[in-house]
Amino acid sequence: MSALVITRLSLKEAVSRKLVLASAVLSLAFVGLFALGFATLYQRAAEDSEPGLLVFAATAQTVLGVYAVDFLAAFLAMFLAVAAVSAETDSGLLHAVLARPLRRESWLVQRWLAFSGVSVVYVIAMTGALLAVAGAVAGYGATAPWRALGLLALEMLVLVSLGLLASTLFSTLTAGVTVFALFGLGWMGGIIEFIGDGIGNETMRLIGIASSLLIPSDALWRGASYYLQSPAFLAAASGEAGIPFVSPTPPSGALIWWSVGYVVLTLALAAGRFRRRDL
Amino acid sequence: MAERSGTALAVDAVDLTKRYGRNRAVQGISLQIAPGEVVGLLGPNGAGKTTTTKMLLGLVRATSGTARVFGVDARDPAARRRLGYLPEHFRFHDWLTGAELLHYHGRLAGMSSSARSAAVPALLERVGLRGKGDQRIRTYSKGMTQRLGIAQALVHAPGLVLLDEPTSALDPLGRREVRDLIRDLRSDGVAVLLNSHLLSEVELVCDRVVIVDAGRVVRSGNLDELVSTGTEIRVRLDRIDERAEHLCAGFGRVLLTDGTTVVLAADSPHSAPALAGTLVSAGYGLEALIPIQRTLEDVFVELVTGTAG
Repeated sequence: MSALVITRLSLKEAVSRKLVLASAVLSLAFVGLFALGFATLYQRAAEDSEPGLLVFAATAQTVLGVYAVDFLAAFLAMFLAVAAVSAETDSGLLHAVLARPLRRESWLVQRWLAFSGVSVVYVIAMTGALLAVAGAVAGYGATAPWRALGLLALEMLVLVSLGLLASTLFSTLTAGVTVFALFGLGWMGGIIEFIGDGIGNETMRLIGIASSLLIPSDALWRGASYYLQSPAFLAAASGEAGIPFVSPTPPSGALIWWSVGYVVLTLALAAGRFRRRDL
Repeated sequence: MAERSGTALAVDAVDLTKRYGRNRAVQGISLQIAPGEVVGLLGPNGAGKTTTTKMLLGLVRATSGTARVFGVDARDPAARRRLGYLPEHFRFHDWLTGAELLHYHGRLAGMSSSARSAAVPALLERVGLRGKGDQRIRTYSKGMTQRLGIAQALVHAPGLVLLDEPTSALDPLGRREVRDLIRDLRSDGVAVLLNSHLLSEVELVCDRVVIVDAGRVVRSGNLDELVSTGTEIRVRLDRIDERAEHLCAGFGRVLLTDGTTVVLAADSPHSAPALAGTLVSAGYGLEALIPIQRTLEDVFVELVTGTAG
């Protein structure tokens, strides 16, 4: 039995449908635009600013650039995953495939692998490109780039798994609406928690934590954002929130473990649901 | 598992039932297909044909009852090793070429690379797609896609093929080719379950027919038995009188007497020679004696509408 036939086919589909080409072209444009903007703003800041402001400018631009990348990658992961099952069952494409001696769970996990792979490679390549630009232009160094990349990758796994689960439960449209709504809810919860932290409101902090349990995507971004900031910037901020959407503290171990468990759990639920489903 | 299949029935379904909520799609269908047998599954829309087929494939879980394919429980993926399937709404990854699709399905069926390389061109040739294997499926016509679907079902030389409306997109010539193909499969010992609305097609190719309605089997049997029971005979004599009618009535039920013609529902499909002999020796001039065989369509309509034809 040749392994990962479905994964390979899914990747081939992404290439064949020009998904890879389209995202590569647009991403190059994005990185180019970032480089141009970063260099221009950094030069301006360097001309008439004190060193502290220069550190702020470089960090803010880098982190906000990666924040945009995080959104793009999250959309990519969700778009890929919400159609992964429902579109193929609705069109009847899957009938001939699952009439083969192939376990449905295997089919599902192989799809998950393909879409996780695409999303993770995308977020790592784009973030890496932005950090490289910032390093080349401003000598910018993130506190712990590999940890940031790891957390962003984990966020992609969370979104692909959640999208896949929704895709086994609902039609593509409903799955898309549900997952995007949850993603937005997590984002909003993150902001509420951020403000709650700032004004010392415990209820708002709890809302934020609850939303991170429901969907840890925003919390993972915030964790990654900590490691993306420069050490000088973090030292100056000394635990105080500097930029909105960016965390002044490292992510907790509990968040990482919950996220890993979340991936396993949603994937298991998706497999269980898909296995029992009549096609 | 492959060893066990030598003697096992290709399909052995007992009392298959499928309920969707309160709706009973299939209510206790039993179906046996031996290797090398071509069986037609007939029924009006919504009779439960596709649901039954999908239970054999493990695509739909039976509420109760069992289905075995070559002795293996249909819910076990291993049951699909020797099974080929053409879905009714055949849709394939249209960004692949025809040959790539066959390779892909061959891989899923566990075929080695060399086995696939040998099988794919031969199959494309067999379904009339020679020279089209390198075209993307999205450029195929509907008929070509259906041909490719048949090739896909046969790629791993299965022992059982489930064909759901395999000629719906084909022209008369294409239909004939598919009939020939099914006959070839039978002579190779392959079992075929054919779902079709085209009764004439089923009549031409199937050994046995199972007619389902409202989720139940309403009639099954060899095609000859099914269409020949209650054969009508039209008799034209030089004259008709009471004695002639009486003689005819000895061979069945007189349905109609009109001028010099009697239409008789014969008790046996083989009574025509004896009837002719009796009438001639009684001194009647026999002008015509025509057995009117019922078509499968007559039987089908009679069964599913409940009216006598």
